[in-house]
Amino acid sequence: MTPGKKRLSYSYYPGCSLHASGREYDISTRALFKALNVGLKEVPDWFCCGATPAHNVDELLSLSLCAKNLSLAEEVEGDLAVACAACFSRLKTTQHHLKEDDTKRKQVEVAIDGPAALNKPVKHILEILAREYGLAKLEESVKKPLMGLKVAPYYGCLLTRPPGVPELDDCEDPSIMEDVLRALGAEPVKWSHRMECCGANFTLSRPGVVLKLSNAILESARIAGADCIMVACPLCHGNLDIRQKEIKEAFGAPDSTLFGNIFGSELHGGSAPDQRDLPIFYVTQLAALAMGVASESLGFESVITDPKPLLRDKQLL
Amino acid sequence: MKNKLMHLSNETMNIGFVKKVEALSGSSVRRCFQCGKCSAGCPMSTFMEHPPNRVVRLLQLGQGQRILAGRSIWYCASCETCTTRCPNKVDLAAIMDALRKLSWDADGPSKESYVQLANRLFIENIRTYGRQYELRLGAAFNMKSGQFLKDLMLGPKLISKGKLKMFHSKNKNIAEIEGIFKRIEEMRKKGEAL
Amino acid sequence: MSRIGVFVCHCGENISRTVDVEQVAKAAGEIPGVAFSCDYKYMCSDPGQTLLKKAVAEHKLDGVLVAACSPRMHEKTFRKAAEAAGLNPYLCEMANIREHCSWVHEDRDMATAKAKDIVKLMVERVRKGKSLAPITVPVTKRALVIGGGIAGIQAALDIADAGHKVVLVEREPSIGGHMAQLSETFPTLDCSQCIMTPKMVDVANHPNITLFTYSEIEKVDGYIGNFQVTVKHKARSVDESKCTGCGICMTKCPKKKIPNEFDQGHGMRPAIYVPFPQAVPNTPVIDRENCTMFQSGKCGVCAKVCGPGAVDYEQQDTFTVEDVGAIVVATGFKLYTIDRKPEGSPIQGYGEFGYGTIPDIIDGMTFERLASASGPTGGKILRPSDGKEPKQVVFIQCVGSRAREKGISYCSKVCCMYTAKHTMLYHHKVHDGQAYVFFMDARTPGKGYDEFWRRAVEEEEAVYIRGMVSRMYQRGDKIVVMGSDIQVGVQVEIEADLVVLATAVQPQDGADLLAQKLGISYDKYNFYSEAHAKLKPVECATAGIYLAGACQGPKDIPDTVSQASAAAAKVMTLFAKDKLERDPVVAKVNEKYCVGCFACKKVCAYGAIEEKEIRDRQGNLVKKVAYVNPGVCGGCGTCQATCPSKSIELDGYTDEQIMAMIEAL
Repeated sequence: MTPGKKRLSYSYYPGCSLHASGREYDISTRALFKALNVGLKEVPDWFCCGATPAHNVDELLSLSLCAKNLSLAEEVEGDLAVACAACFSRLKTTQHHLKEDDTKRKQVEVAIDGPAALNKPVKHILEILAREYGLAKLEESVKKPLMGLKVAPYYGCLLTRPPGVPELDDCEDPSIMEDVLRALGAEPVKWSHRMECCGANFTLSRPGVVLKLSNAILESARIAGADCIMVACPLCHGNLDIRQKEIKEAFGAPDSTLFGNIFGSELHGGSAPDQRDLPIFYVTQLAALAMGVASESLGFESVITDPKPLLRDKQLL
Repeated sequence: MKNKLMHLSNETMNIGFVKKVEALSGSSVRRCFQCGKCSAGCPMSTFMEHPPNRVVRLLQLGQGQRILAGRSIWYCASCETCTTRCPNKVDLAAIMDALRKLSWDADGPSKESYVQLANRLFIENIRTYGRQYELRLGAAFNMKSGQFLKDLMLGPKLISKGKLKMFHSKNKNIAEIEGIFKRIEEMRKKGEAL
Repeated sequence: MSRIGVFVCHCGENISRTVDVEQVAKAAGEIPGVAFSCDYKYMCSDPGQTLLKKAVAEHKLDGVLVAACSPRMHEKTFRKAAEAAGLNPYLCEMANIREHCSWVHEDRDMATAKAKDIVKLMVERVRKGKSLAPITVPVTKRALVIGGGIAGIQAALDIADAGHKVVLVEREPSIGGHMAQLSETFPTLDCSQCIMTPKMVDVANHPNITLFTYSEIEKVDGYIGNFQVTVKHKARSVDESKCTGCGICMTKCPKKKIPNEFDQGHGMRPAIYVPFPQAVPNTPVIDRENCTMFQSGKCGVCAKVCGPGAVDYEQQDTFTVEDVGAIVVATGFKLYTIDRKPEGSPIQGYGEFGYGTIPDIIDGMTFERLASASGPTGGKILRPSDGKEPKQVVFIQCVGSRAREKGISYCSKVCCMYTAKHTMLYHHKVHDGQAYVFFMDARTPGKGYDEFWRRAVEEEEAVYIRGMVSRMYQRGDKIVVMGSDIQVGVQVEIEADLVVLATAVQPQDGADLLAQKLGISYDKYNFYSEAHAKLKPVECATAGIYLAGACQGPKDIPDTVSQASAAAAKVMTLFAKDKLERDPVVAKVNEKYCVGCFACKKVCAYGAIEEKEIRDRQGNLVKKVAYVNPGVCGGCGTCQATCPSKSIELDGYTDEQIMAMIEAL
C-alpha cells in the first residue's frame, strides 16, 4: 500500500486543559480531523503530563508522568497527536531526556514499574497539518478561504524551544504557522512578539506578570496590523483571551473623555491609541473554519473576546 | 542579603550543593562565562532580584544559599529562551528546575510563597484526581493564599462559558498514579534518586 | 653486530630518582653482544658525549644505545657524537627511560625493571640495525606564494628582495585582499589604502615577482625543493598584454547595477570591472554570469570601445605548471555571517538577530566600507536601508566567536580593537551620534592597544556595556536591541538606527580543498595547522610549505606581517643550500614481492608512493609495483603496516628489528 493512499490516523492525547478551559481547542481539533478525514482516537484514561509545575520542582516526577502516558499511548494505534503546546513539550522532552540519560531512564522505569516506551512518534497538530497531511493537500481541501484575515501567528515558548527537543521548526525563526495560515488563505502578519512569553502559568499565582507580558504581545500584534492572533496552546489562549479585558484596564490609555480634551494631541500624537479587541483563535478553529465546518461546532461560544464580529466583518460566518 | 560581604573559603563555598544542581540539571555551571545573554532575553528578568546570569554566577561561587533565600528562581517562567540562546550550551532552564527542586526539598526559606503554593496544589491535584481541574485549583489557591476575592469576577464567567468544569469523571489509572508517587518517594528514601 | 655499547643517563635526578641506573647499566652489560655499559649523570653534556666517543674507540664498538630521554630531545645529539667517533649515525639509537618510564612511575623497583626491559629490547634493535646514508635532493630556488593579501604580498616582497624568484597567485582579479578594503587601521588610525597600495605596486613592478591574478591552484605535485604546481588562469576575457587600463570599457558597459563585492555588496559595479580604482593589475575582468554578451550574445559594447582590442570573449581558462622549491600559503580569512546555515552544517546562524534579514544590521567589514573615503558612501556613515545618517549605533562583539552553541568556540582576536576603532571613526564623522558597544571582555594585548581602547571609552565617548544581546527586531525604522548590563544587573533596550556586528573570523571558503591539494593539515574549523604551536609557528608538518596570516588563525595586520616575514625567512633558509639533506628513514619496496595492489598509495599521507612499471628486456610490461619517492616519504610507516604482502619496509624500523625487539621481551 502506498503511504499516500493510506488513511492518516492518530492516537490522541488532549491533556487536561482541552477538557476544561481549552475545550474549544479539543472540539475544533476533532471537527477539523473529521473534516479532513483523518482518524483520531483518544488514549483512554490518560492523565496529567505534570505540565510546568511538575518539572519546575520535581523533574523525576514530570518524566515519570509523561513516560507513563507514553506507555498508555502505545496501546492505541498511530502516532501520538498532541494539541497543547505544553503537553507536547513535556512529552517530547521526556523522550529526549530518557533517550540520552540512562540513569534517569532507569529511575523512571522504577517509578512507572515498567519499561519506558520512547519510540512512539509524538506529533503536534501543526506538524500533522503542514507535513503529514501536507500543505498542498491542505490548500486543496480549503472550502472557504480565510481571505483578508490578517492573523498574527503566536508560537509562544514551548513549540520550538529548546534546540533539539521539540524538533518542530527552527528555534528562532519558525514558519510552520505562517505556512499553514497561507494554505488556509489567510494573511500572516510579520510581527515582533510571536515567540515572547505570555506569562504562562503565573496566571494563577502572579497574574500581574501575565498582564504585563501578555499586554506586550497584544500591543505588538496591533502595531503589526493584525485582526486576530492564532495560538496552539491553551495556556497562551487563556492569558491572551480571558485576561484581555483586564489587560486593557491595567495598561490602557487614560479615558479619553477625561483626559483626551486636555492632553489629546500631546499624548497620542492626535489619534487615539489602538485598543482594538483581538480575538484569539486556535489553529484548529481557523483551519476547520476554512474547511467549511459550521462555526457553531467550533466552540466559539466558549471564547471571551468575541470573534464573531470580526468573522462577520470578513464574511467568514 | 544582596550586598552582604561574601567571605570565600573552602568552608563557605558549598560546592556539594553545586554538584547536586549539576547532577539534577545535567548541565555544567562552570561553562558559563557571564556574557549575560540569558538575562538580556529573560521575560521575567525585571521581576528577579538576581537576574539569570547572576544565579549562575552565585553557583560558580558556591553561594546556593543566597539564591534560595531570594525569589528569582520562583519567577522563572520556564520559557527556555536562556537555554536556547546560551552561547555555551548551559541549560539554565534545567538549572532553575534543579534549584527549585532543592529549595522545595528544603521547604525553602524563599519569600515567594504564591508560586510554591500554586505548584504544590497542582501536584496534589494530579495525585488525587489524575488530571487537573482548574476550578478546584483556582479555588484552593485563593483559599490557601487568603486572596478570597482574586479573579472573583472571572470564575462565574468561565463557568458559564463551559471553561471550568464543575464535575469530573473518575480516572481508571488513579492507582497507577499513586504508585508512581510512592515509588519515587521510596527511591529517594533509599537514596537511589535525588 | 656484536660489540654494542650501552650508556645509561641519570638526567640529573629525572631518571635516577625512580630508576636504579647503576643496576640498569649492570644488567645491560650482561646482555650477549654488549661489550660496554656504564651510567652517567648527564649523557647529553660535553663530558657525557666525550665518554661515548672514547668508549667507541677504546672498545671498538659497532653500535651504540643511549638510555636517556625521548629521541625527539637528543637523538640528533648522540648520532652526531657517534658519527664523530667514526660510527654510522644510524647505528646509534636511544632507549626512552625518562618520558616512558621514570616520569610516569613511582615504584622504584618496578620502574627499574621496566627500564631494564626497555634497554634489553632496544639492544636488539641496535643489533639488527643497518648503516644508512642521508638522502640528498636538489632545491629549486623559486617560491610560490598563494594569496595576494597583506600576508602574501609581504612574504613575496621579502623573498624577492632576497634575490629569489617568486610566483604570486591570487584568486581575485586584484591583489590587496581584505586590508585594501579597510578604512583606517588600529592603533594609529593610518589610512589602510595609503600604506597598502604602494606595496601592491611594488609587487607589480618587482623584477623577481611573477603575478598571476584571477588564478587558482589546480594541482600540487612533488616535494620540498621540487614542487610542480599547476596553476589555473581563469579566463579574464581581457588580454592582459594588450589592455592599457584606460577604463573606457567600464564606463561604457551598459550593465552597471551589479553589487560590488569589494564594497560588501553596497556599491555598484559594471559587468566588466576592476574591483577598486587602485587595483593591481589595473586590468578589468568580465563577470560572465552578469555580462549580457555572455548571457544572451547581444551587446559587445566593451569590445567595440576598446582601442587596443584587448577584450576577448573567446578566451578560455589556461593552465601552467610552475616549478618551485617552497610554498607560502597565505589565503587569509572570511567573515562569519549570521545567515541561516544549511542543514547539517556544524556552524549555526543567528535566528535571534533575524538571520541577516534586517538590512541595517551589518558586519564590521561593511562598516569599514561605509567609513572609507573610497567606499560607496564616499566615507559618510549612512545606513543601507534608507541612506539616513544613524544617530544611535549599537556595536556587538563576539558574534559567532566564543559561541560554541553556534559552532565556533575560539576568540577572533581582532574584533575588540576594530570595534573600538569603529566607535572612534563614527564619533569623528557623526558628532551628535552615540555609539554603544555590547561586549564581554576587552581583549587588547598589543603595543598601544589597551590605550587605544581606553581612548574610545574616555575621549571618544563610546558607551561600553558589559553584557550580550539576546534578540534584535525591527520596530518601524528602528532596530530594537534587547541586551543586558551584567554589572548593573538590568536589562538594556536600545532603539538603534544601525547595528554593527563584530562577526567571527573564519578561514576562506575552500581552505580545506586547497589543504588537500597541498597535503597539509588543518583543524576542525579549516584553519591550517602549524608544525608546532610554539617552536614551529610558520612551518607546516609537510616539509617545504609555510604559513602566513589569518589562514592559520585569526590575526591582525602587525601579526600577519610578522608571520609573513618569518615565513619568507624560512624560505630563504631553505634556498641558502643547493642540496637538501633528509633523514634516510624512508620506506622501501621489495619489488619482487609487491603485487601492485597500491593499498599503500591510498594510505600515504605524503603522496610519496608512485606506480612503477617493471618491463622485461623486450620492453613488455611485466607488472606494476609501488615505488616510494624518498624525497617525499615522511617515514611514518603507515604503508608498512598496510601492505598485505609485507613487501614495504621502513629503513630503521624493519620487520626484522621489530620482531627481534618483541622476542627480547
